Amino acid sequence: MTAPRFYGASPPGVDDIALPGRLIVIEGTDGVGRSTHISLLKEWLESRGYAVVNTGLRRSELAGRGIERAKRGNTLDPLTLNLLYATDFWDRLERQILPALRAGMVALVDRYIFSLMARARVRGLAAEWVENLYGFALVPDLVVYLDIDIEHLVPRVLGSTGFDYWESGQDYLAGPDVYGNFVEHQSRLLGQFRRLAAEHAFTTVDARGTVAEVFRSLCEVIEPVVEDMATFTDIADGHLLQLPQIASE
Amino acid sequence: MAPASSESVSLSRSAEALDAIQVEDQRPKLPGRLIIVEGIDGSGKSTQLDLLRKWLTNQGYLVMFSEWNSSPIVKGITRHGKRRQLLSPMSFSLIHAADFASRTYSQILPALQSGAIVLADRYVYTAYARDAVRGVNRDWLRRLYSFAVEPTLAFYFDVPLEEAMRRISIGRPELKYYEAGLDLGLHNDPFESFRRFQGLIRQEYECVVDEFGLLRMDATESLIHQQQRMREMVRPHLDGAMRLPNPPTADAWQVASLLGHNQAERRPLLEPGE
Repeated sequence: MTAPRFYGASPPGVDDIALPGRLIVIEGTDGVGRSTHISLLKEWLESRGYAVVNTGLRRSELAGRGIERAKRGNTLDPLTLNLLYATDFWDRLERQILPALRAGMVALVDRYIFSLMARARVRGLAAEWVENLYGFALVPDLVVYLDIDIEHLVPRVLGSTGFDYWESGQDYLAGPDVYGNFVEHQSRLLGQFRRLAAEHAFTTVDARGTVAEVFRSLCEVIEPVVEDMATFTDIADGHLLQLPQIASE
Repeated sequence: MAPASSESVSLSRSAEALDAIQVEDQRPKLPGRLIIVEGIDGSGKSTQLDLLRKWLTNQGYLVMFSEWNSSPIVKGITRHGKRRQLLSPMSFSLIHAADFASRTYSQILPALQSGAIVLADRYVYTAYARDAVRGVNRDWLRRLYSFAVEPTLAFYFDVPLEEAMRRISIGRPELKYYEAGLDLGLHNDPFESFRRFQGLIRQEYECVVDEFGLLRMDATESLIHQQQRMREMVRPHLDGAMRLPNPPTADAWQVASLLGHNQAERRPLLEPGE
């Protein structure tokens, strides 16, 4: 049973509820493979009887589309952008994550406050201010950080979406050198993530391997977190938590 | 965040978020003036601020007006949230902070940097009072808004609850969901809910006024008397604020004899012999 614990002061209306579910967060920079692994993990958990809800940035009913619209303009300062993401995050915490945890589900969250903190920090917002802002966030049961280096990241990004304006830090880095800005921005982000990983005791998973290798590592660290839920949810059948069988590549 | 005693506006001491953004100039000097009004609905603050604006523009001062909840970037989200009743106390608070941040960066700061007079209808103190009534942590709110520019003058229009209700009931046939505080579940009847909500905000304002030293105005006095007092308090802070060399509408006003009692306040329009 997870007792609601927040990083800062409890937000109104949610400080006194029992949360039998599990909050599992996958953090990591752009293009590291988070969404691939979240789909795989959802399958894995559901096939074993766990009800899973997944959510990620900009998926709130309140602010998701508003943020998309705001990012298309050219008058967005880092402070406003971060507060819009904070609004989006809170709405999802309140209306997607907390209800799922109350109902005893596993909430699989693609990026949590840490991505937002890292983005705010590289754009010059003060650490103290950012930490106070996200004090309303529920402390997860597990934060897995998918760690990668620039050398492994660049080919993945080129192989999928290419260099995005925001993912290359074009909004705050000078000059038209998109590749250079991508490397600079992502290096700064990785620095922030590693600092946060140490501060908040993330479980770090090396994301440089194959999909199968990374997925297996993820299952290994997630297993102990969901294991004892079976005793609450009455679905234990002895084979509940077998690790996935994946042919090595 | 007591109103600044110096003539130019300074950033609040805890404005680290802002300082960190302004890397090139750690504490930017803001030659402009920031004058804000606070008070519950029906206190008459907007009327007084509007009269102050007319007086200042008539004298040729460059005046920029910034209204609570008006950022073009954020407004759409707030409207969507209100229409669908999606807003909880925290999202209500966060979305208004986003609006305030956007206005600070795109309107208020640039205007103050250029030396203009910024008039704000509601400021951070509205969030301190209203969000606290909705149960948001007071200390968190003060840190959240620590990037705000400290006002040169902050007026609080103090009106008894029943007087404010009387004024509102005349002007407004219908109250909106969040405006009436119906999300708080204080009462099912919108007007009764509104009355209780405004009463709680008024109580919270009392603490905020003391904490930040807002200038208390008796909002039951006649409008003209209040405006005269306001102008007296503003006048000493105007020295050196940016003025248009030739107020664009001044000639037209003079032709139309619309200058009225403000004429005495203005510099001569035309030098003799011109």
